[in-house]
Amino acid sequence: MPSNRILTMSRAISEAIAQEMRGDPNVFVMGEDIAKYGGIFGATADLLDEFGEERVRDTPISETAFIGAGVGAAMSGMRPIVELMFVDFFGVCMDAIYNMAAKNNYFSGGNCTVPMVIMTATGGGYSDAGQHSQTLHATFAHLPGLKVVAPSNAYDAKGLMISAIRDNSPVFFMFHKGLQGLAWMASPEAAVTEVPDDAYAVPFGKAKVVRQGKDVTIVTISMMVHRAVEAAEALAKEGIEAEVIDLRTLVPLDRETVFNSVAKTGRLLVVDEDYKSFGLTAEIIASVVENDASVLKAKPRRIAFPDIPIPYSRPMEQFALPNAEKIATAVHEMLGKGSKKAA
Amino acid sequence: MADVAVPEGLWDTQKVPEGIVANWFCRDGGTVEAGATVAELMVEKTTYEIAAPAAGRLHILVPKDGVVRPGTILGRIEEA
Repeated sequence: MPSNRILTMSRAISEAIAQEMRGDPNVFVMGEDIAKYGGIFGATADLLDEFGEERVRDTPISETAFIGAGVGAAMSGMRPIVELMFVDFFGVCMDAIYNMAAKNNYFSGGNCTVPMVIMTATGGGYSDAGQHSQTLHATFAHLPGLKVVAPSNAYDAKGLMISAIRDNSPVFFMFHKGLQGLAWMASPEAAVTEVPDDAYAVPFGKAKVVRQGKDVTIVTISMMVHRAVEAAEALAKEGIEAEVIDLRTLVPLDRETVFNSVAKTGRLLVVDEDYKSFGLTAEIIASVVENDASVLKAKPRRIAFPDIPIPYSRPMEQFALPNAEKIATAVHEMLGKGSKKAA
Repeated sequence: MADVAVPEGLWDTQKVPEGIVANWFCRDGGTVEAGATVAELMVEKTTYEIAAPAAGRLHILVPKDGVVRPGTILGRIEEA
């Protein structure tokens, strides 16, 4: 049968985990509500039925305990996937993440690897307030020793999860709630894709040019890929061709693909749902300027979440989030065509 | 032609009169295998999977987010 099966991102992730669990008895999953409930964002659906309570473990509400247990299990030869329900909850388990998981390979002179996946839900846009809506990609990308992955669609999510489980480093697998394809939360149509049945790997550190263009390069990740494509489609109707790059992983970061694109377009706009200061937008712009500032025909621009706690109020949150209109306006300004107001 | 239908009695319509199609797992016109999960319904906070009754080409009649009740024909499968 030709693989025209389409899957939501949540189903693609749980399928990846199931396939790796079938192939490797050391892989197991734990976290809050990941077994009987299947993960509150569906990333571990149906695993308990197939693999049982030993390998699919509901934990008490103590991230301090179970993220720490995951580090220990990984150092003892297992390959745990531990779900941190919302990335916003990292505070109580950060010591296990950044002093143990991220550093123990180095501290042990390479004798102890920590092959652990910390899977976590990110992102806002659905009025869940400031401690349930952050993306925080850069918080983890900033720390040496962690790999950081953030897929924008089901195909990439499955392949990146398989790479994450097989990787001998700790990997932060950050999925956006609004991309999971859950019935109770709006999701962009393009996040649902055809997904092959076989267990394929999408390599880390390879950005994807989602849309080709000659006028401006838009670099982004996760949910903002969809906002950028929406803006690029609107701009195309005016004859402006935007190239959209989905980084897919922040660590390792595929700077080459960005450099090559900006060398072609001469204009760089970085879009991020994470906070503006000290983050992805600054890192990409600095990397391009350090590499060769002479390729730029206009000042590089960035659109990110402002440096404020994420509001609960829907009008306030939507006002602060990056969107297609803001992206298109920035592109107009970079091309010297002025700001076009939405009709 | 085999109907892809919402089974009668799938949920208590006295309590919840209707649900929606949350997702299709095959595009309109794509081919499916008998027994494969082709759609997912959402009724309040409960989801129900709908299996293909036959192998063949799927024609979607109720799109994603469309309202359904027990007995609704969601689509048809043109058997090969």
